[in-house]
Amino acid sequence: MNPEFIESNAGVRSQGGIKWQQPQSFFIENDHHLQNMFTSGINIVKPDPGMDDSWAGLDAGAYGYQLGCGDHMFLHGNLTSVSVSPRKRKADKGQTLQVVSEKEKKIKRCSDGDSKITRQNSSNNNSNSNNSSKDKSKVSKVQKPDYIHVRARRGQATDSHSLAERVRREKISDRMKFLQDLVPGCNKITGKAGMLDEIINYVQSLQKQVEFLSMKLATVNPELDFNIDNAFTREMFESSTSEFPALACSSTNSAYFDQLNSLDQVVSYSGLDMGINSSEMGLRRSISAPVSVPEAFMDSSCFNQIQPTATWDADLQNLYKVEFEQGTLIPFQSHQFTGSNEASNLKMET
Amino acid sequence: MSPPQQPSSTNPNSLKIRLTHRFLHNLNNLNKKRSNLDNTQIHQRYNRVKLAAYASMAHVVGSRRAWSRAILWKIRNRKVSTRHKRVDHKPTNHHHARSIKRRTTNHSNPKREYVDPNGNSGQEVKLRKLVPGVETMDACGLLDETADYIKCLATQVEVMRNLVDLFSTI
Repeated sequence: MNPEFIESNAGVRSQGGIKWQQPQSFFIENDHHLQNMFTSGINIVKPDPGMDDSWAGLDAGAYGYQLGCGDHMFLHGNLTSVSVSPRKRKADKGQTLQVVSEKEKKIKRCSDGDSKITRQNSSNNNSNSNNSSKDKSKVSKVQKPDYIHVRARRGQATDSHSLAERVRREKISDRMKFLQDLVPGCNKITGKAGMLDEIINYVQSLQKQVEFLSMKLATVNPELDFNIDNAFTREMFESSTSEFPALACSSTNSAYFDQLNSLDQVVSYSGLDMGINSSEMGLRRSISAPVSVPEAFMDSSCFNQIQPTATWDADLQNLYKVEFEQGTLIPFQSHQFTGSNEASNLKMET
Repeated sequence: MSPPQQPSSTNPNSLKIRLTHRFLHNLNNLNKKRSNLDNTQIHQRYNRVKLAAYASMAHVVGSRRAWSRAILWKIRNRKVSTRHKRVDHKPTNHHHARSIKRRTTNHSNPKREYVDPNGNSGQEVKLRKLVPGVETMDACGLLDETADYIKCLATQVEVMRNLVDLFSTI
């Protein structure tokens, strides 16, 4: 291909004053890559009246093509022959071949930057730009781009649209990875569809849990004052060894808190102190007090089982199995019951 | 595990603490309004507790996120509409007020693989229904909001579980 082009160019040049349609048509017929670039909006140099100018224009355009295409080797081979201005042809040919040896070129993603590509190219081609940029009217200093710099890899499309698409896809995959960490049990699932399913299920299950827990909270004795101090909430998140601080509660609850202190000690002695997680503190609940829970509350049948004090063991086991289907807390139940029974006896005595 | 001193938005400990504060505050307000001891009004209290849970979540996060803004907006509109309808105290009223503000969704193809006019698959559409406030966002922002929403929901669930356990020992 190269010799053909060279000859054709020689032929063109020898004729003098020939417009650009001819060599351009070569490009178009022989190389669909170039055709893509033509159609994608990179400015082809318009045929100028003067040959020098037109050569110069094509030179800049050719540089643009060089660096705008992924398939460098082939195109460079095509372009170098034409891209060189007549008087500098031999000198530049060696230099452009150096450019060819680069595998990756930087491509700026611009909104309207067709001509800007050519200008960027001139800055990249350090060796060539000195020679050729003097001729160019289009080639100017590097402007200050505000763009996201995307590196187009070899063998991939360098269309601005596909670049934008690739950036978007990478962003989405980043976020999917982050979501994979959030949603438990998603490590093995690859692919967007499966992940989305898992995410949807997880969000639905979380919302159901909120509903369930709010139902339970609604059935708590309404006389209980929810006005709890800061220190108390802090207590909830620290490890369970200290006593409850004095709380701003009604006097009816003071007895409860005395009991709770003793319960606390008993439970901690029995090995409750996991010390890992604040949710582990919830094991203190192993004492279920006989609350005046309305009988009509149907959903959590576990509440009904709390009230009879005869069979604590079975009821508590049922309680936890019903409540916590998630399964994380069930293994903890069994060895806490001994302590819980002691504490429950304590409570019943007082 | 001692809680840090400065509350940061991404620190889960601090988030939990703030959620707890806010949730208890909301619950307290809730209880102060009316005291419902009847069995028949358990459902009403349940709704209010659920609302308090979501409200506390949204308040803690603030206006930073689209989903929290959507929740706060819904609550505000709900308050306004219930104030206008003070005459009628039926619990169905609340549902009605809430449904007014709900955006209309296409229910014609519930089972089939539903493809949006935009080309979204049925899953994305489902996700948009689950997470409040993301209906007009692109896929990238949708995943962002979903991640934040999941994080907050999980923390809220943990807080509520702790509370339930604590109060059920009374």
